[in-house]
Amino acid sequence: MLDLLTPQQLDRYAQFNAFVSEKVEGHADAWDQEQRLPEAILCDLAAAGYLGSNLPTEYGGLGWDTVTFGLLSEALGRGSSSLAVTVTVQEMVAMALLKWGTSEQKSKWLPLLTKGEILGAFALTEPGAGSALESLVTEFVQRPGDECLTLRGEKKWISCAQRAGVFLVFGKLGQQPLACIVPRETPGLKIKPIRDMMGFRAAGMGQLYFDDVKIPPENVIAKPGFGLSHVATFGLQYGRISTSCSALGVVRACFEDSITYAAARKIGNQTVGELGMPRSLIARMGTDLNAGKLLCYEACRAADERHPDVFEKTLMAKYFTSKAAVSAASDAVQIRGASGCHSSSPVSRYYRDSKIMEIIEGTTQIHEQLLGKIFVNQANRLTNKAD
Amino acid sequence: MSTVQTAEIKQVLRAFILSSINMKNLDDDANLFESGIVNSLFAVQWMTFIEKTFGIEIGVEDLDIQNFQSVNAATAFVVKQNGDARSAKSSR
Repeated sequence: MLDLLTPQQLDRYAQFNAFVSEKVEGHADAWDQEQRLPEAILCDLAAAGYLGSNLPTEYGGLGWDTVTFGLLSEALGRGSSSLAVTVTVQEMVAMALLKWGTSEQKSKWLPLLTKGEILGAFALTEPGAGSALESLVTEFVQRPGDECLTLRGEKKWISCAQRAGVFLVFGKLGQQPLACIVPRETPGLKIKPIRDMMGFRAAGMGQLYFDDVKIPPENVIAKPGFGLSHVATFGLQYGRISTSCSALGVVRACFEDSITYAAARKIGNQTVGELGMPRSLIARMGTDLNAGKLLCYEACRAADERHPDVFEKTLMAKYFTSKAAVSAASDAVQIRGASGCHSSSPVSRYYRDSKIMEIIEGTTQIHEQLLGKIFVNQANRLTNKAD
Repeated sequence: MSTVQTAEIKQVLRAFILSSINMKNLDDDANLFESGIVNSLFAVQWMTFIEKTFGIEIGVEDLDIQNFQSVNAATAFVVKQNGDARSAKSSR
């Protein structure tokens, strides 16, 4: 994939990797154990412009293309999945607002997000509605004589909820899906941390309770009826791009750890790399790494070209790299043996984090359903060709 | 916009839908969403296709299901947007 990148993209990728090497690699295990990202790394992300890097410069972004954003996600994902997902959800909120916010909403919220003055969180999942978005029960009520909507309901498994300053919240007004902005300090919003997750332990997961929260008209995003089909789908699209690339980062981390270990570690007179089993595992890991790079690159390029196939390509990239991350992490632990099962080795963290990647932004099974349907529906293209 | 250009726009839009669904023919007035011909995920894909193909930026003010619910509705939307863009250009 590196051959496909422009010199500028390559330069930036080198900067991202240097950032991760200096500020992330040696600390990610401690963050994982403490279940918290320190304020300093969030300040470093903001200072580097990595929060909202592909937003237009008029809103304080760096105006980078999606390929460059994908490279950033990959580099961060290699270092810390918890840090990478922080950038992912920031991106989901910011891109949804950029597309569907009014000029006033964009001017108010986007500079705060790009400068890192606040973090965003994407409040979609509910205790009873994960991938089945139509099952949302969080509701907006329009009371007579009240210009505000009233929001009631619960959201669960919300990444970055513990730190977020603003939430993009989804619910229904009657039967019409609707999205709105809810600042953290809004009366009636209660945030409860969720600790002891298997992976993404430093990502500040939380549960949100909305108890008659007032939503003024200026905080409603887009229009009733479009909250899921347009606002959520648009945000999720960027979330999937970011997750695809950060899962690819996990594959690279596992690959690099495994080949380094296999080349150096001796068993009797042989290195681990001279044994058949590790070679087989490493062969699969390396091939997945390269295949994943191409899928991620295609998805990011399609986003930059605003090609309608971007949805299909992104689904494929996320489907492939999240599964590859699970497989690579499992194999990296296997190659290391007992030492890979201890918290002193980062592969044990990759093993726990990778499984989360198969669940967020749509499970692997949802991706199979969506992609299977998309492909079957393309049968007409073959018939048209034959005609 | 001439009748020929409008017919071409309609043809392009219809061809895109037909390349994405498991149907051989499509009524240009058929409601794509209510009839279940496409799912909600397709809504943004449909919008992205229109934006890319016709050089239109769809914003929050254009969010009206009547603009995108059928091939005929989307054709009328594209014709209107192109007309508005031309008017804006000629008035500069």
